[in-house]
Amino acid sequence: MDFLLTEEQQLIGQAAREFAREALDPVAPALDHDGTWPAEAVAALAGQDFLGLFLPAAHGGAEAGFVSLVEVLEALSRSSAAVAAILAHHALAAYAVDRWGTEAQKRTWLPRLAKGEVLAAAALHEHGASPLMAVHHPEGWVLEGVKGFVRNAGQAGLIVASAATGEGRRSLFLVEAGASGLETGAPAETMGLRGCPVAELRFNSVVLPDAALLGPADGGAALEAEILALAALANGAMTVGIGSAAVEHAAAYAKTRVQFGRPIAALEAIQTLLAEAATDCHLGRLALRHAARLLDEGQPFQVEAAMVQQFLGRMGARILQDTVQVEGGFGYSEFMPLPRLFRDMAGTTLRDAPADLPEAVIAASLLA
Amino acid sequence: MPNILVCFKWVLDEQDIKVRPADLSLDSSRAKGKISDFDRNAIEAAVGLVEAQGGRVDALTFGGPSVKNALKDVLSRGADRVLWIADPLAETADAFVTAHVLAAAIRQHGPYDLVLCGEGSSDAFNQQLPVRLAALLDQPCLSFAQTLELQGDRARATRKLGDSVEEAEAGLPAVASVLGEMNKPRIPTLKQVLGAAKKPQIEVPLAALGLEAGLLRPRSTRLGVRGFVMNRRNIIFKEPDAAANVARLAASLASEGLC
Amino acid sequence: MAGIFVYSEDAALAGQLLTPALELKRALGQPVAVLAPDPASAAALAALGPDRVLVLEGASGSPEALAPALAALLAQEEAQVVLVGATLRGKHLAAHVAAVLGAGLASDARALAPAEGGLGVQRILYGGLAVSDEVLAFPAVATIQAGTSPAPAPSAAEVAIEPVQVQADARIRVHRVEKAAAGGVDIAASRRLVAVGRGFRTREDLDLASSLAGALHADLACTRGIAEDEHWLPIERYIGISGRTVKPDLYVAAGLSGQVQHMVGCRESRVIVAVNSDERAPIFEAADYGIVGDLYQVLPLLTAALAK
Repeated sequence: MDFLLTEEQQLIGQAAREFAREALDPVAPALDHDGTWPAEAVAALAGQDFLGLFLPAAHGGAEAGFVSLVEVLEALSRSSAAVAAILAHHALAAYAVDRWGTEAQKRTWLPRLAKGEVLAAAALHEHGASPLMAVHHPEGWVLEGVKGFVRNAGQAGLIVASAATGEGRRSLFLVEAGASGLETGAPAETMGLRGCPVAELRFNSVVLPDAALLGPADGGAALEAEILALAALANGAMTVGIGSAAVEHAAAYAKTRVQFGRPIAALEAIQTLLAEAATDCHLGRLALRHAARLLDEGQPFQVEAAMVQQFLGRMGARILQDTVQVEGGFGYSEFMPLPRLFRDMAGTTLRDAPADLPEAVIAASLLA
Repeated sequence: MPNILVCFKWVLDEQDIKVRPADLSLDSSRAKGKISDFDRNAIEAAVGLVEAQGGRVDALTFGGPSVKNALKDVLSRGADRVLWIADPLAETADAFVTAHVLAAAIRQHGPYDLVLCGEGSSDAFNQQLPVRLAALLDQPCLSFAQTLELQGDRARATRKLGDSVEEAEAGLPAVASVLGEMNKPRIPTLKQVLGAAKKPQIEVPLAALGLEAGLLRPRSTRLGVRGFVMNRRNIIFKEPDAAANVARLAASLASEGLC
Repeated sequence: MAGIFVYSEDAALAGQLLTPALELKRALGQPVAVLAPDPASAAALAALGPDRVLVLEGASGSPEALAPALAALLAQEEAQVVLVGATLRGKHLAAHVAAVLGAGLASDARALAPAEGGLGVQRILYGGLAVSDEVLAFPAVATIQAGTSPAPAPSAAEVAIEPVQVQADARIRVHRVEKAAAGGVDIAASRRLVAVGRGFRTREDLDLASSLAGALHADLACTRGIAEDEHWLPIERYIGISGRTVKPDLYVAAGLSGQVQHMVGCRESRVIVAVNSDERAPIFEAADYGIVGDLYQVLPLLTAALAK
């Protein structure tokens, strides 16, 4: 019995691993190759109740909590981080609706999000050139500008978008994908997480009713920070999943690859590489579960989430470099899963914007 | 509306068991427990029958103290309640003992229209418990079933028997053992996992079954277990030139008197 | 009373069971009796040295249907050892007999020998990972796979054939029995085998293996997927944990990865040869000789080299 996981959480992790093996392993390499939207896999996620994982039962969710979320994301990422990313980014937006939505907004959206009838996306980042601005008019709000790096763009029916609503003030809005004036850019060709679309969202005088405001007017900065903290946990879970898969794969390879009469697993340098990578995954996982448990208990979790992000961000790229070393020439060639894992991990450990620097969050908590 | 009982075993996952090279002993320290593979097929079959026709699925297991880890697992897979017998005796029990224990529990908590088991457990794969149970309960056994249907008070199965396939039928109550290929056990959804906590877990103390001592003494005893290791020459030819490899292999076969 | 009893609905397999039965006779000093399903097999088995031959009359049911009757007979005879051929029907029968006799049952038993306190056997555990040594108290029941022992040499001794009346269990009604199309060959008896796996892309490509088998005077066998999923070869040619177990002099594994579930069926072969394009396939650890290469290239070259 794992002291950090309840029996239910263990069973959930077990079911997610089985699901990943059965439903994702067979399609992961092709998905990475083609980058086409994995409709069947997403439908299967819905069938397992993953899309409403932490949403309230009253709205059709499974109410399984955030420790379960990180368990599931890790398990899925061992097979396909792209599919895990689809779930993760849907979850970020669903979290916002559940956390700050009015009863009417929750009734409208949560059941459909939980069932997977509507997929969600969080549009929080920007390139900087035309930041999204929202101006209030008698009819409602008018949004103008561009959001960048929106995961699930083009597939999501509901977008949670952050906009500047005044000097140094921000607000969140619920935007339907079909809103007039809303344009989804062409999906970007990304290095990794291929299959999880990412694109710009261009708001050309998009008019939204007052009821589209999510949470308090001008109170969006704090809400955004909280969503990004959850994103840190989600990305962390994916990083640990990818990293664990890479370590297992490299270890199995090291036992069979014989050079100069011995399996390379017998070489100390190889053992050190594998030991460090495995340790980082293990520690990252524990920190992740702890931060998720704080969230489950309604405790502040953003500093711990920042610590997870900082630790795993550095660890992520290093693990993959190290394990590719172990596999040597074979690791570099495309028919092995390692290159896909390497590219996916670059996606989960990306630092999105200067304002997100987890170091700043941690330091602020120490120096306040 | 059939009343179905599924017997299942909590076993060590054989994938996690390692053989110690020094003395070929088995290291199970990292082995997690799981519901035996074909028992999952039996559970799936039972749940499928009840989903189609109504009724109820009870799960029953006999094991050591670790059997408590099995309870929410089996409930999350669709059983309505689980009856469990935990006793240290289970560690050395053979199929003779286990069949008596399960039969006694079935008599106490039944009656059941149908008792389902996997064709064999993934650890020892003795392939005998379902038939023993049927003999003790004095019921017919439809063994090695690839398909299974309930029609009123009769059970009908397609039995796959190696060199033949047989359509057989028996009146209820009956026992059946299922093959792994019968179905694909569903993966529990989150709601099913969380719903397991609400379903009854009924502890059945071994003593409460009233079995006399002779029936609890195993008829077969395990003296020792060792890992199987292949000791082969491992002479592998992997030159880029296939013809060269073939020549060397042919020469090796000749040296072995094989060509 | 007492005695070592042997039964299989497959007469050839029943003959093979006589070998360990006769060995146990020497050790335990008890007579060996064969239960024969019909007069023809009774006559054949009588020639292999048992002390008694009992031919079952009155019911032509499947072995499972005869289980209650045979169990009653064996109880009456106070059988000390019962050896049953390990077909699936045989396993069903043996389990019923064991329940009625209150006996232990060793499934797929090997290396039968007298032991302190009963009958010693060896069994495979964990899908082939391990081997266990066990002792069954008397009376003991064991099922034994085809090919575990050869049949004994014929004996000139005269044996009376005793008819025994048995009744079939009517509780199971059999509507239809479809015998699998005979593959022709009993691969458990083959001295050389070429086994094929998923490395072959189409059924026609198996011709490469057939040609090699021809050059080697070998028969074809396969992994589970080839028989059960692809149906490229009949089920009796599938070697593995729930298929056949074989012990040929030569086992050539072509285009198969060598997972435990397959290897457990062939790992006692005298010489194992592997051909696989993946250097890291487990088969190479289980092989005496191997070639890392494309079977589409290697097999024709090997066939030609051997034909010379």
